[in-house]
Amino acid sequence: MRGYLGKILVVDATTGELRDEPLNETYARQFIGNSGLAARYLYDLVDADTDPLGPYNPLIMMTGALTGTRTPASSRHAFVARSPLTGILGEANVGGFTGRELRRVGYDGIIVTGQSPVPVYLWLSDDRPPELRDASHLWGLDTYNTQARIVEELGQPRARVACIGPAGENLVRYAAILNADARAAGRTGMGTVMGSKRLKAIAIRGRGEVPLSDKERFKQAARRALIRTQGDFSVQVLKETGTSGGMDYFDMVGNVPFRYWTQGRFEGVDNLNGGLIAETIATGHTGCWGCAVQCGFEIEVPQGPYPVPQTDGPEYETLCALGNQLLIDDLGAVSTFDLLCDRLGLDTISTGGAIGFAFWLYNNGLITPDDTDGLRLTWGDPAPVIELIGKIAIRDGFGDVLADGSLAMEKRYQASGMAVQINGLDPGMHDPRGMSGMAVVYLTSPRGACHNKGDFYQVEAGHDFPEFNIESGDHHQESGKAPTVARHQNYRAMVDSSGCCQFVNMPFRELPELFSAAWGEEVSLDDLYTAGERIFNLKRVLNLKLGLNPRQSEIFPELWTRPLSEGGTQGFVPDWQLMLREYYEYRQWDWETGRPRPEKLVTLGLGDMADELWSDHEGEGC
Amino acid sequence: MSEEKVTFATQAWIEQFHAEINKSEAYRQAAKTWEGDFYFIIEAEGALTEPVYMYMDLWHGESRGAFIAQDPSARSPEFVISAPVSTWKEVIELRLDPIKGLLTKKLKLKGNMAKIMRAVKAANELVRCTTRVPTDFPL
Repeated sequence: MRGYLGKILVVDATTGELRDEPLNETYARQFIGNSGLAARYLYDLVDADTDPLGPYNPLIMMTGALTGTRTPASSRHAFVARSPLTGILGEANVGGFTGRELRRVGYDGIIVTGQSPVPVYLWLSDDRPPELRDASHLWGLDTYNTQARIVEELGQPRARVACIGPAGENLVRYAAILNADARAAGRTGMGTVMGSKRLKAIAIRGRGEVPLSDKERFKQAARRALIRTQGDFSVQVLKETGTSGGMDYFDMVGNVPFRYWTQGRFEGVDNLNGGLIAETIATGHTGCWGCAVQCGFEIEVPQGPYPVPQTDGPEYETLCALGNQLLIDDLGAVSTFDLLCDRLGLDTISTGGAIGFAFWLYNNGLITPDDTDGLRLTWGDPAPVIELIGKIAIRDGFGDVLADGSLAMEKRYQASGMAVQINGLDPGMHDPRGMSGMAVVYLTSPRGACHNKGDFYQVEAGHDFPEFNIESGDHHQESGKAPTVARHQNYRAMVDSSGCCQFVNMPFRELPELFSAAWGEEVSLDDLYTAGERIFNLKRVLNLKLGLNPRQSEIFPELWTRPLSEGGTQGFVPDWQLMLREYYEYRQWDWETGRPRPEKLVTLGLGDMADELWSDHEGEGC
Repeated sequence: MSEEKVTFATQAWIEQFHAEINKSEAYRQAAKTWEGDFYFIIEAEGALTEPVYMYMDLWHGESRGAFIAQDPSARSPEFVISAPVSTWKEVIELRLDPIKGLLTKKLKLKGNMAKIMRAVKAANELVRCTTRVPTDFPL
């Protein structure tokens, strides 16, 4: 099958056995690549009894169908497993370099099962068979040092390394996997699963190419796509001001959370802005393989109470999760938090969620210094945040509590409904009271309250996709918006499967052209969109298999039901129940059970799953 | 009694706009750190047969000067935003968010992106000031 390498590497970490398995071409055709294809594999390998930290939970690394080709910004790949944080589908999507390198070494993906008795790392090079190598000497190292040490000891300066830090080793439930220094597969604890397998790193050096059916046609389409993406205004903003370039706008429309989602206005937000970073602490740009945008900042804070050496700078989510949300506006401080999280291997959003919730509990009298190892959690004070990040990574004292995530904290401190999370995941930093579409995104995202499985805030900001009838409307619109959100989720699932970064807004006319040239058969935009919808529904079915109970968990957090008296939300609280009902209707999902209706699954080519899903409902199967 | 309308892209219109800016406390607050001048180019369309260059010098929450530039080459302002009359009409009537206008390239921007992206709230207040100028569009 052209366009793919045709091989999956299967690793049994328990026995050390490594073997090649042919890519399941039926799956690839239906679910394209990246998290969609990985989710299809995962569906076969897990059920509701699978221990997320046990040997039978596979860690799947999967590339997108266009990853590693000339397609602009096609570095994306995913790590997928049952999440130890949420219990449902775990997936973390990342750029950097390791996805491209995996395809160059000849694999579309890797499936790791089992648990190694000792720390190991996986070494893949196209001049030798894959091998698991001892990593005992690396255990305990941070992510930056791990990457550098492996490259050094392999004597392969161009090898690329994805690894965990101490947080993953200590099974912090939101540990990340990092490559290219600070490119993080952050969400849902995929680094935790990697740590549970005692797999410290995956190092790859490849020199091959992705086989394409029509190289010249592909090259021309990729060139046109590059030209078109470079003319995109949001790409230009990202290029010059990074992901936080829109902070001022997002603040204006009530999208930015302050004081753990309880305050509508914060003067300090102006100090955490991509434009300001560009003009003050930025020393250069960083980015992923094959990307002309380079949306990351390289920064240095030479002076002040929180000096930071030259390193990767914080992006929007981190500036909000560990800055605005805690009322901390010192760029040096937030950059320090960011660097600590990266080196220790922590997801900055969930770290910010856990720390933010701890601050909220403390300032509402639900915990005291007796609970916090004596730390005084004063809004705006960076000092305890630095302490807490370190404590979380090694599960020390109060950090051990935070390491299990905000939902576990809610239960421990009898603060039912007060953690801002849905399905166990802390949300991205986009307040649904500012942009109502995000309410539906968070409630229905396949991995919990994720902002990226449909980054509808971009649509709300004005980025329309008329080809799919996705057009921005009033930020506070309730009735009628959910179908647009659903279409956008489908569209994003389609882009995700390709391995293209969503920030570049791949031109529609080129995407089918790229697939057609890669696969050697004509692929239409409708084909790809339908695959996106299929992937979204697959993930729903998988989550139901894993025990998702939507009527108990698709619930707005209490703090989001409270209007904010000032700021850009203008006191608005979306009618999330109305929007969710309309969403279900559009999706053809059953309200009581949360299941996609059999006829919908059949339409999407998922009839076998319909039979399994509806087997308890006589007459509704297929 | 209705207010008398002034024609968009004329010296009279920009003078009223200038006055509205300097009366606006909201703009003064939102743009208190802003330093930068503009050409707002109104491209020819409808009854407007030649492009009009409106110059504005905005400084720390105030308009220090605003006029129609007869010789556009005489100045090189830090920012240039251009669009046809009909697009400016959409913006002024609050039917087109300026950010969406930039995203969709209905508004074309030249200048330091980092600086302009730090001033979106100020830009929003600027647009609100235009809504207080009773405007007749040359379409």
